[in-house]
Amino acid sequence: MKDGRFLTLGIETSCDETAASVVADGRFVMSNVISSQIDIHTAYGGVVPEIASRKHLERINDVIGKALSDADVTAKDIDLIGVTYGPGLVGALLIGVAAAKAMAYACDIPLVGVNHMHGHIAANYLEHHDLEPPFMALIVSGGHTEIVNVPAYNKCEKLGGTRDDAAGEAFDKIARVIGLGYPGGPKIDKAAKEGDPESAAFKRVYLEPGSLDFSFSGLKTQALNYLNQERMAGREINVNDVAASFQEAVVEVIADKAVMAAEKYGQKRIVMAGGVASNTRLRALIAEKAGAKGIDVLKPSPILCTDNGAMIASAAYYAYKNGEEPTLELDAVPGLEF
Amino acid sequence: MNILAIETTGKYGSAAVINGAGEVFSAISTEEMNHLKGMMLLIDEALREAGIDKSELTHVAASVGPGSFTGIRIGVVTARVMAQMLDVPCVAVSSLEAMAGRVLDDAVSKGSLYVVPIINARRHQTYAGVWEAEFTSDYEHKALSPVMEEKQYMIEDLLKELSSMIAKLEAEASGRAQSLKAMLGNAVYFTGDGIDAYKEIIESSLPEGTYVFADEELRYQHAESVTEIALKRAMAGKVLGYNELMPEYMRLAEAEQRLKAGTLSERIRKPVQI
Repeated sequence: MKDGRFLTLGIETSCDETAASVVADGRFVMSNVISSQIDIHTAYGGVVPEIASRKHLERINDVIGKALSDADVTAKDIDLIGVTYGPGLVGALLIGVAAAKAMAYACDIPLVGVNHMHGHIAANYLEHHDLEPPFMALIVSGGHTEIVNVPAYNKCEKLGGTRDDAAGEAFDKIARVIGLGYPGGPKIDKAAKEGDPESAAFKRVYLEPGSLDFSFSGLKTQALNYLNQERMAGREINVNDVAASFQEAVVEVIADKAVMAAEKYGQKRIVMAGGVASNTRLRALIAEKAGAKGIDVLKPSPILCTDNGAMIASAAYYAYKNGEEPTLELDAVPGLEF
Repeated sequence: MNILAIETTGKYGSAAVINGAGEVFSAISTEEMNHLKGMMLLIDEALREAGIDKSELTHVAASVGPGSFTGIRIGVVTARVMAQMLDVPCVAVSSLEAMAGRVLDDAVSKGSLYVVPIINARRHQTYAGVWEAEFTSDYEHKALSPVMEEKQYMIEDLLKELSSMIAKLEAEASGRAQSLKAMLGNAVYFTGDGIDAYKEIIESSLPEGTYVFADEELRYQHAESVTEIALKRAMAGKVLGYNELMPEYMRLAEAEQRLKAGTLSERIRKPVQI
């Protein structure tokens, strides 16, 4: 407690960002420290779990320390610690969990585990201070493409998800093939801005009528075949055009299905979350399609879309306020479901 | 001085506290590889047994490896963050040295000269070190001094070195018209889970009667032996800031090895050629 505000420290190490943040009253970001390892993993073309674990360990103390000092508080002021305990890379998760437990024990602070995906959704509470459930959530990231009905804080009903690749994964793969490299999502987004989204007629995969699931592997194969054909025909490939066409095929289906889900469940708001939620084309398209149906679209600013400790703190705050029991026996659960 | 020590480099996690009087209190997990889930409870139990509040700790020590990478990290992170939050220094202890210390009394009583902890690192690899047990004739004073570097060895290479060390001792014994066994007992004392993995290789490589294996009660890592080394180190002022407490993996990550060797998959390193 400081100045009458309930302070939560959020810790996040599920993949390649070592992050910690102090959040007041579950809503107000007082500090948000993110130490990214992207520069290290770029040499390997993707995240190497063992290296990610080693780097998290080297950085975790300073990241926590800076989160406290940036917020101008000390550990004594912290009322609650929240930490991501899954889903994610097990070796990466356990650094955050072990650190959180050590701090909770040393400073007598209650600790709750947070589902990383609940965290992504909670990022919106930090951005939109009046937002409360219920709403429809769209989670798009490197590992997830999911439509989730959110009736209450930290309650999630999964309505649909990807049957093969996640959207971010598909972006990563195509980015690698057309030479944009890692991380694929932001690079595709940037290249697409200079390209023609109708240069290649990539299919939109909607699956069975009414389905809220996704499938991107067929589209990926089609894109690979297209690139092959162009090369065989001796035509030069315009990277920006391919990026724009591929991105459009992905985001159009996502936007349509998110709007369909909101309509079906009578939700007036779609809340976006996850790294790919910062894709500028997806943000624009979904706003346009939802707007036409009178549905609001809320999204966190890009800094809160990426993995961060603030979203974990917010989710922890609501879990704790809703009666979640603190525990020092928390374990990492790499395959944690919603 | 009240030192908390954490040991998570082997199968069973443990925590121990040593107080100013040199008394040691500890708690060890009964579940294998339960380090992450169980560590805070073990620490709490050890502190309660010792009757010491965490605020009275003067140092936090960790067994920093070698051993299971994941285990090492859990122990080191726990120690680092506890030290940071309690504002006390850290002490780093090698898992191998602690294992050697754990069996020293037993090794001396069995007449062993060389104490050799071996940790299974798979595919004939082992993390190991060799210490010489030094003791006075009345066995009152015992100490260990390193004679072979702690590092990753192929078990066969390690055994070759030990063979020649045994041969030298045998030559010395026969010079005194004695058998090695009569002069020393079992010259080499093995401990650690490397025994479980490489017992047969050891038995087929060294002459019978020249070596002995630690009993199972003494064979595996335990925080109690970490505290004893930590106490000496702390008294000598060999302490670290929490950010300086680093794991001793003794091995690069596989991807790093391949990147260094230039054998990282081309597919990963370069854009795919269509």
